[in-house]
Amino acid sequence: MNDVDQLIISEEFENTDVSLLETLDHVLNRGLVIAGEITISVADIDLIFVGLNVLISSVETAHEVLGKRETE
Amino acid sequence: MSELVYYVYCIAESAAAEQLPADSLPAAIEEDVRLEWISVNALAALVSRVPKTAYSEEQLAEHLTDATWTAIRAMRHETVVEYVAKRVTAIPLRFATIYLEREGIEEMLTEKGRELELVIAQLRGREEWGVNVYSDRAVLLSSITRVSPVLRELAERAEKASPGQSYLMQKKIDALRVDEARAAVNRIVDQIDEKLKEQSDDNVRLRILKVETTEHGELKAKFAFLVKRSGFEEFRDAAERLAHEHQPAGIRLELTGPWPVYNFVTGFTG
Repeated sequence: MNDVDQLIISEEFENTDVSLLETLDHVLNRGLVIAGEITISVADIDLIFVGLNVLISSVETAHEVLGKRETE
Repeated sequence: MSELVYYVYCIAESAAAEQLPADSLPAAIEEDVRLEWISVNALAALVSRVPKTAYSEEQLAEHLTDATWTAIRAMRHETVVEYVAKRVTAIPLRFATIYLEREGIEEMLTEKGRELELVIAQLRGREEWGVNVYSDRAVLLSSITRVSPVLRELAERAEKASPGQSYLMQKKIDALRVDEARAAVNRIVDQIDEKLKEQSDDNVRLRILKVETTEHGELKAKFAFLVKRSGFEEFRDAAERLAHEHQPAGIRLELTGPWPVYNFVTGFTG
């Protein structure tokens, strides 16, 4: 039995769809909400996620997004 | 040239900001602009300018329905905040916090200064780690007579009972299997939460966005823990022990991070 196998450490975000979803979840749903002059509402966020789930299920687009990120 | 407004990524101490000059930082959320620090006394906000046309309330709402547009920018936001959070203590802000004027940010830093400094002090030397708990239903159901104390006892009695009694007990075991499996997952999830709390300074259970079925099974729980950098080895060891302990029941742990402390700044009201 291999313990390391049971525990995945996704440091630096591996190029997986799950880590893309995790990242989006963090950035869009959490973080300090400070009274900026323009902010997005919680209802909007739920709508975004409907779209993102579709995006993420389309692997090609997800890789395109990750690819763009890597070249930055 | 269209009018520009300010996109704010995170807040750090001015002294920390000085260690991270703008030209050492990653790319901003929109192309062809640089990140900059806006500093007031002890605090500094990391910002970059973005076109007002794309980030007005209406336009933003429109853009956000475009998943690719949103995903690319969310990733850039994360890259910036992550870069800073790896090096200094930073308060990550929610995606798309926009100020129209530089003065608005300076006012915010002045007005919220004391509270922000307090939050930074609480976060110093700490990182966020995510723990996802997956359950493989098939493995769990097949091992449930060992995992569930109730069924284990029934199974032991069935073994010693007469064929007729044994048959009835087996029927009962089958009827209870699904409920016991659900109870076992809840028990294990609670135990994971309890044990990892001991190794962290703060914790939060997160909602599951969608039923995610992966090769590890179905996502049953998501947690975030605030962990001291110096205590990470212990945290990781505890997670590994739990993974090992519950692996026979089809439970799998996934540890993600380190993250900027997104989940431990939300209590602040802004």
